[in-house]
This record gives sequence, C-alpha cells and structure tokens, in this order.
Amino acid sequence: MNKISKALTGQEKARIDDELRQAYDFDPKDPLFGLTQQQLGGPELNRRSVLRLMAAAGTLTAWHLMPGTGIKPAQAASGGHLKAGWAGVGEFRTLDPAQINQVLLFQIASNVLSGLTHINPQLVAQGDLASDWSVNDAGTEWIFNLREGVTFHNGDAFTADDVVFTYNRSKDPNISIHSRVLSNVNDVVKINDHTVKILLGAPQASFLTKTLERASGRAMTIVSRGGLEQLSESQYGLTPVGTGPFKVTSHSLGQSIVLEKFENYYDPERPKLDKVTIIPIIDVEPLAAAIEAGDIQIIGGNPVAPELIDRFEANPDLIVNIVAGPGFQSVWMNPWREPFLVPDFNKPVEELMKEKGFKVRLAIAKAIDRDRYIERAQFGRAVPAYGTINPAMGFYFDDALGEDSNQKFDLEAARLLLAEAGYPNGEGFPTLKILNTPSARREVQVIQDILKRNLNINIELDTKDFPVLIDEFNHMDWDLVRIGSGGDYDPDDGLVDWMQTSSKFNGRNRDKDKMPFGQFSDDEVDRLIDEQRLQSDPQARKDMVQKANKITSDKVACAFIYHPIDAQVRHKSVNFPAESRIPGLMDLDRTTIS
Amino acid sequence: MSGFIVKRALWAVVVMWAVATLVFFMLRIVPGDPIAAMLFDVGDPEAADDLRRKFGLDQPVYVQYFKWFGRLLVGDLGNSIYGSRIEVSRVIWEALPRTLSLTGLSFLIALVIAVPAGLISALKRHSVLDHTVTIIAFLGLSMPDFWIAILLIITFAAGLHWLPAIGYVPLAEGFWPWFSHLILPSIAIGTPFAAIIARMIRSSMLEVLRTEYMQVARSKGLFKMRLVMVHAFPNALIPVVTVMGIALALLLAGTIVVENVFAIKGLGRVLIQGILDRDYPMVQGAILVVSFIFVFANLLVDVLYTVIDPRIRYD
Amino acid sequence: MAVMESTEGVLPEQPEQRWAWLRFIARDKKALVGMIALAILTLAAILAPVLTPYDPNAQDFAMIGAPSWAHPLGTDDLGRDLLSRLIHGGRISLFVGTSTVLMALLVGIVLGVSAGYYGGWLDTIIMRYIDLQWAFPNFIIAVYLVAVFGTGLSNVIIAISLAFIDDFARIARGMVLTIKEEQYIAAARTLGASDNRIMWRHILPNATAPIIVQATVSVSYAILAEAGLSFLGLGVQSSTPTWGLILADSRSFISRAWWLGVFPGLFIMITVLSINFLGDAIRDLFDVRETKDLGAH
Repeated sequence: MNKISKALTGQEKARIDDELRQAYDFDPKDPLFGLTQQQLGGPELNRRSVLRLMAAAGTLTAWHLMPGTGIKPAQAASGGHLKAGWAGVGEFRTLDPAQINQVLLFQIASNVLSGLTHINPQLVAQGDLASDWSVNDAGTEWIFNLREGVTFHNGDAFTADDVVFTYNRSKDPNISIHSRVLSNVNDVVKINDHTVKILLGAPQASFLTKTLERASGRAMTIVSRGGLEQLSESQYGLTPVGTGPFKVTSHSLGQSIVLEKFENYYDPERPKLDKVTIIPIIDVEPLAAAIEAGDIQIIGGNPVAPELIDRFEANPDLIVNIVAGPGFQSVWMNPWREPFLVPDFNKPVEELMKEKGFKVRLAIAKAIDRDRYIERAQFGRAVPAYGTINPAMGFYFDDALGEDSNQKFDLEAARLLLAEAGYPNGEGFPTLKILNTPSARREVQVIQDILKRNLNINIELDTKDFPVLIDEFNHMDWDLVRIGSGGDYDPDDGLVDWMQTSSKFNGRNRDKDKMPFGQFSDDEVDRLIDEQRLQSDPQARKDMVQKANKITSDKVACAFIYHPIDAQVRHKSVNFPAESRIPGLMDLDRTTIS
Repeated sequence: MSGFIVKRALWAVVVMWAVATLVFFMLRIVPGDPIAAMLFDVGDPEAADDLRRKFGLDQPVYVQYFKWFGRLLVGDLGNSIYGSRIEVSRVIWEALPRTLSLTGLSFLIALVIAVPAGLISALKRHSVLDHTVTIIAFLGLSMPDFWIAILLIITFAAGLHWLPAIGYVPLAEGFWPWFSHLILPSIAIGTPFAAIIARMIRSSMLEVLRTEYMQVARSKGLFKMRLVMVHAFPNALIPVVTVMGIALALLLAGTIVVENVFAIKGLGRVLIQGILDRDYPMVQGAILVVSFIFVFANLLVDVLYTVIDPRIRYD
Repeated sequence: MAVMESTEGVLPEQPEQRWAWLRFIARDKKALVGMIALAILTLAAILAPVLTPYDPNAQDFAMIGAPSWAHPLGTDDLGRDLLSRLIHGGRISLFVGTSTVLMALLVGIVLGVSAGYYGGWLDTIIMRYIDLQWAFPNFIIAVYLVAVFGTGLSNVIIAISLAFIDDFARIARGMVLTIKEEQYIAAARTLGASDNRIMWRHILPNATAPIIVQATVSVSYAILAEAGLSFLGLGVQSSTPTWGLILADSRSFISRAWWLGVFPGLFIMITVLSINFLGDAIRDLFDVRETKDLGAH
C-alpha cells in the first residue's frame, strides 16, 4: 500500500475536508444545486462551483482534491518537439469522437478537438469554445455564447451551425456509439451564428462537466462539418479536423501520428509545444527501451506494465507519478456450472453458505492470497480488491471492506469449505478451464499456481483472443473467466455495468431459457443500484453504494482480485503541469520541454 | 518462348483465383464473433445485428462470395471491421514498402555475406576456413529467425543502445533513420537465407570446378582468379537463380515473424494482427497480396531461368 | 540411374555389413555430434518428469533469478526454474516435430503414389493442388491454417502436417513414375515375374532414400514452425511450456533477464542443428540431389 499513496500532511487533510464539506453542502432538490444563476453562468465556474457540480453529479473523487505532485514548471520556454509513446496499443484505429471507445484514443483526441467547456488544471470550468453561458431558474435551459474568431484547422469558421451539426451527429446511434449520453438533451437550437440554446429534459448536474466537456464528454466534442465533407468518414477518423491546440499533420496507421501547433488557436498562449509525435508501442520492452534511450519523453495510452515501475523509479532521469487506478479485475465463476452451481442468489448469506455450490465459490475466493498475487503478478503494484468500487472513486471507496468481507483471504476456512463441499484437499475436484486473453496469461498462471498450492485444484488456461473471449463471455460459455473493467471513475461504471441482472456485462447473449440470469443476480442489489443512481444526497448515495458493493462481495458475485494503479512516467525535462493529472487524459497544451 | 510465358502467366492467374477462393471460404468457418468484440464497450445486441447487416455478414455465403470477388477484381479489398473502418487496400499499400524494404535489405545483406563465404569455402575446400564457414552456415540455418532477432535486440538495442529496438522510418525521412531501423531485422531475416546461399554456392562451385571443362581450362594454365570469376562463377550461379523464387518465399516467411518482433507494420504484421483480431477482410487482403507476390515472383523466376539458360525449356 | 548404382551396395545381404550405413555416418564428425545430441535430447524429453530438478510449473522461487547453482539456467518472471521448463518444452517441440512430419509423410505418400500410379485426371487434380501448395512457404500456410482452425496443440499439429504434405507428395509421385519406367524396361529385359522381387529390393531403397532425407529436413522445419507459431501467439496455448512460447514470454523481461531469451533459442538451435547435421550426412550417404535443398520453409 505504501507503494501507492504518499501520506498527506495535516494541512492538506484539513483543506480536503473543508472542500468536501463545502461541495456537499446543498439541497439536493435544488435545480441549481445550491448555486446561483450567476455562479452557474459563464465565462468561468470557479473551483468551488465545479466541485459542487461534481458532487451533485456524484463524480467527485478524492484525487480531484489531492495535492499536485511533481516539479512545478518554472517559466519554461515554448517550442520544442515532444515525442510520446502510447503503451500497450499497436495502432490508433480512430480518432472520431463518435467512435472512440478507448481512453487512450481520447487522450489524443482531446488535444485536437474542443468542446464547449473544459475543466482546467485548477478544476475551474472554463469556456473552451463557449465564451460565456447562462442558465434559467429551472436549470433546464442553457444559453451558450460562442467564442468569436475561432477557426477549424482547415480554415473554416466555427459557428453555432457546427454545434448543432455535432449534436445531430452524436445523437444518431448509427453514427455515434455515445448517443445515450445525450438522452437528457431535448434539443440544441441555433439562436444566431454565435449563440446556441440547449434544452434539457431535467436539471442535470453533470451537464457542464460531462456532456459538454471536450474530453470525457465525447458526445459534444465539436467535429468539423467541412472536414467531414472533404474527407471520408474513415479518413476523418484518422486525421480529424478540429479546433484544438494541435492539428494532425500526418497519421501513419500503426507507426505514428504527428500533431503540430495550430497557429490560429483561439488562445495565443497555447499550445507551448511546436510538435508532438505519438508512437504506439505495444510491447513492454521496446517501451522501456524507448523512454530510457530518450526516443520518447513521456508515456501515455494504456496503463504502464507494473514490471516496469520499479525500473523507471530507479532511473534518475525519469519521474514516476502514481495514483490509484480506476478499475478492478476478478475471476468469475459460472453459477450455472458445476461445481459452483448457484441457481439463486436471493437468499441471506447464511443460507447460501449451506449450499455446496456456494461453498465452492467461497472456497476459491477465500483461497486467493491477494497479497501474494499482487506481489508476483503485479510486482507489488496494485491494491487488493473486494468489490467493483475502486479507490479512484475516492469518497465511495470502502477501505474497511477488506477486513469485513466474506471473501477475505483465509486459507484454513477455504480448505474447510472445500472439504465440506465434498472435495477434501481437492480430491475429486474437476479440472476446470479459465478463459483469459493473451495479455493476461501471465497473471492467470499466478492464480493457477495459487489455487493449486492452496486448494490442490487444477485449473487449465483457456487463452483466447479478445473477440473470441468476449463472444464466449457474453454467451456464458465458460467455467471460469478472468475479466474486469477499467476507466471506472463513477460508482455507476462498476455497479450498473456489471452487478445488476440487466447489466450489459452480465451474460447478455446467454440462452435466457436455460439461464434466467448471467453471472450474478440479487434483487436487493438491483434495487440499491437503481436507487443510488437517482440519489443526489451524497451521503445517502455512498451508503447505498457501499451496501450494494458489500453484498456483491459477501455473496461472491465473483472473486475480486485487485485494483490496478495509474502511473504516469515522463522524462524530467518534460514539464507536465502537476494538476493536469486528470485521470486518463494527456492534455499537452500546457506542457513544455526544458 | 512467348507461348511458354503466356501459358505460365495464365496458370498464375488460375492459381491466384484458386487461392482467393480457398481463402474466402476457409475464413468463414473461423470461430469467434468480431462484431461482438467491437461493441464490447457499448453493449447493445441490436447494434450488433445492425453492423452485421451493414457488412453483409447476414447473407448466404455464396452471395457474399460473388460480391466479394467482384469487388476484388476492381481492387477493392474491403474495409477493416474495426475503428474507422479503414480500407484494407490502403493499409496494405502502406505496409508494402516496409515489407519490401525489409525483404530487399535482407536479400542484399544475405548476398553480401553468403557469396564471398560460399566462394572462399569452395576454393579453399576442406581447409579450416571451409569448415568454419560450413559450421557457421549450419548454425545460421538452425537458429530461428525470431531468436536471432531477440539476440540482436539484447545486444545492440537494449544492451549497447547503438540501434533502435523497434519501428520503421520511411526512406523519405533520411537514409540513416531508415537504415538504422531496418538493419537489425534484416540481419535476423537474412541469416538463414545467407546460410543456404553460401552452401549452395559452395556445392555449386565445387561441381563446376570439377567438370572436365574446368580441368582443361586449368591445365591450359589460365590464370586462376580469372578462371574462377569469369568461367566458373557464372555457371555456378545458375542453380542459385532457380532458388531465388524460393528465396523470396523464405524471406517473406521470415518477415512475418520478425516484423512482429520489431513492431514494423509490414504485410506480416498486418496478417498476424488481423488473425489475432479476427479482422476477416484484413487477413484475406494480406494473404491475397502475399500470394500474389509469390505467384508473381515464381513466374518471374521461371522466365528468368529460361532466359539465362537457353538449354532449358518447359513444354 | 546413378542413384541406383550407388545404392547397390547399401542394402547388402550380409548381416555384418548391415550397419555399414551407421559407420558411414559416424565417420562424419558433425553427424556424430548431431546423433549424440539428438539422443540426449530425446531421452531427456522422454524422461522429463523423472529427470527435471523441479516441477516446470512450480512458481516457488525468486522471480527473475540469474543462473546459479540451484538454477543452472535461471528462473523466469514467475519464479519457475527455466531448465525444468525447457526440458519439458522439448517434449512438445519434439513430439510436434515428429508427429507432424509422420502425418505429412503418410498423407503425402498416399497422394503422390495415387497420382503417379493412376495417372490421368486423378493425377492432374492432385498434382495441381500440390503444385499450388508448393508455391507457398510452408510456414505461411501453417500460419493461415491456424488462423482458420484456431490455436491449441491439436490444431497446430493439423496445420503443420497439412502444410508439409507438398514435399512428400512430390517425391512420392516422382518415385512412382521412375519405378514405372524401370518396371517396363526391366520387364522387357527379364523373362519371368521373379525379378519383381529384385526390382523391389533395389527400388525400395531408392524410393525411401529421398523420403528419409526429406523427412529429416522437414522435422527440423516443423520444429521451427511450431516454435514460430508459439512465438506469435498462434501455437500451443496452455501453461505447458513450449520453447517458442517461453521465448515469446521472455520478451517483456529481455533487458533484465538475458537468460530467458538466450537459452530457449539455444535449445531450439541445438535440436535443429543436430537434425541438420544428421540429415546432411544421410543425404551424402544416399547421394540424393533431387530433394528440395531448402527443405520446406
């Protein structure tokens, strides 16, 4: 654990407590979330207001409030060519915001495209393409004044037509995979060339922060009408035209993408860099070699492989900044197959504990020595997990769950359970298969080893490539599967996507006649998750979230194993504004090289 | 002679068609649903059906075949099923120069090593030099090319930091960047090939030297080096040329693995990545282009062979 | 005809000369080394469970340990003894190498003999396909077949076997055609059918010679093919190690653990080298020149 977070000073703790208290100090029924119209209007939302909105939207996490780390940028000179390596990816398949489904692609798009607003490093919501905005009393009508004199990379002028165009494009499910994000937007109307009105169905705290923000928003990331007309859709996906600080000058699929400073960017101060070259580097060693040799100066993309962290930390030329990662990984056991057959989870835990299938599930979960696993599989760089709610969710994370959970590692109890289930010392236990992807092979071998030495049961690897694995996963065509989630910053990302009977990752292509539910189904959990979504009182929401999380843990929805970490590695000559450490993003408009 | 060429060319076309058809039908029996993988994040089963319809994957196989073949004839290899649905022909077009650069350089490096080695070996037969070259050739033949690649990376890239470990830089950006990225992979691919060529030259030279023609020439006192270079060597090359078509095969097969080690996005990597991703159109396209190269190269070699040695004719 | 003459003395009647071929091979030092090395490797592979110092899958030891007395080849990134893994890996590599060639040989011979014997349209169909396959490097065919059938041990064996059929089919057919010719000439020369036996006594060595040479060459390429497939992630997928897989897994740690990258390849190389030495000697023995010198790459 001490490899993850640094201890906070008393002063920092006091500040965080203070800010949290203020953030949550409002009447949840207030359509303006305890802020005045003036406070909610543009051209800028101060930090306090942004924190309030995030709290109201339930997206305020602890890291938002953490002190920044790293070198304070001195008055670094502009210019320079930054070379970046994107880890764990072979090519950037598309940069069209309507099609992007991976954070690593977003990281690039965010430098090339803009939204109406953007949250700056100090957690202040500033206008990006909007210069000013206002909201009505009911919180349902927003009027945005658009910045004048903004041009796209291809010279076209940016007007309200582009906003309307983007909206119409994004809400079309045939073009955009994010159309659902706009479900609360009733219409986007052009008032004049530089004014738009957005009509919402109901007051939405996350509207400014999520829907309009250029990076995580996606839905309203402004695309170029002209660009789409000139280029084919697939070409636009490779060399998108936007209004951002950098423009794409070349993209050689699978080799590199080159971004250059957009001279006509609306903010003459940005970007500082002249040029950025991003290279996808799928393999671990070449990535390490590249940054150590200085071929690249910063690593973005997928999380850095844990085996490299020690090596980078030991390197005096590199800066490594680690925070808790947003995700979880676990081993799922098919409740419709022997020997862990559990056809009904809707019983109290005590009753479930009497069933043979449940005993086996629990035995396996309790036999997994998470510390050993983390040490050997992740080189110590991970946090033990007991639920989908991860430490990056800050406020919602229950760090006591490790002590209380039914799944907690307990070797003797695990062996006893297995024996009670009819397999003393693993005798007679069938040889099962665990489905996994090639990139997880190494980790799963550690699990295989742990289960063998702790329970004396044999598990065989069934390594399939991602498309095949997903197919089998969705059809519930497996004994065990090692799978999990990433990019989870909000409790909904974990609970709604995985733990409800109707969740999209819960056996959605299964034979519903044979299997009434997928991996897991519990009525109380379903109910709690539905309720917490509508809950605007953060304390009440937290209670519900943690309660649901604990049930999934105690009832062994799956054997949770770990939460990954999020490490940023860069060369010491790169001045990456410390607070720019927005999770997942790699905004380079303020970055400089000395 | 031209009748022969026409016949071979026609046969080449038939081969291509047969390969294309085989490729098309075989890939249809592959397990795994790529559409589902594409939508993993989005989670909408109806969207999957929509996409399937969009790609025409819901129609009967023979219909798909005819449509596909039709497009093939105009050079449309389809689109990748992922991301921005980039045209397969475009990906391959960009990949081709990389593979060709690599193959070409490997070929050159191999020749530069093999020809002198083979010659020396033949001329100084049974000497220590000969034995050394033979052993080294055997070693070169027995080392898997991806292992050679790894050894080179360990030594020159990770260890000494003299050369980059991965990637490709087009020639347009400068000779040394282009060359420095290609030199390690070329050595890896070229080594087994060099070994074979060296041995071939050796045995071929020995044969030629043994012939009576040579004995007579030698007895006439012709100066030895001239003898070798002007008379023996060109004759020794004839069997080597026949090997060239297979040489290309060897080199291209080598690039498949080595490109993956060095993360160079040539044909080999496109193929392997397509296979791992179940990107049908990409795999089809890559295999077709690779096949085309072989068939074409073999045709070229056959024609070349008849030109070089007019005594040889096929009926 | 030269072939026939040189094999005249090879399979003689007298028992004490039956091992003459062995002595012939043994005279070639390289072949001798090769034979011994192969014998050791094969024995080690067969006796692996008894022989290896540790369980190849036991993750009991320090991760990424350099070669030491306790672990002569070091340990890998999961703390497993590399030597034990390589010995066990040899089992699969050798098994795949030999079984695929055996199957390719059988199928290839059947195809080639049928084509040569029956002639006509059967010959045309079979040989057109064989020529088609022969135009492509076997490794690429194997890769493609794995793409179609999927990965895993059985699929890899099928893929490699199918890919290597062309060499044997061609040789078998060529032999049958030669035999047919000989038969007519001989029939014209002899008076009765009894010479058939003599014919077969002489023909058979001729026929088997190139097949044996091709088989040894193919085994070395089959082993390389399996290693290549495993390396690309298209081969055997289980946790049972194969040399190619171990080599592939080493890539993430190559700068810290050179032994993980060097030794697996070394084992592959020694195996293939030994087979090549042996094959070369066998080829000299039979003085066969028609086989495709480059093997089946």
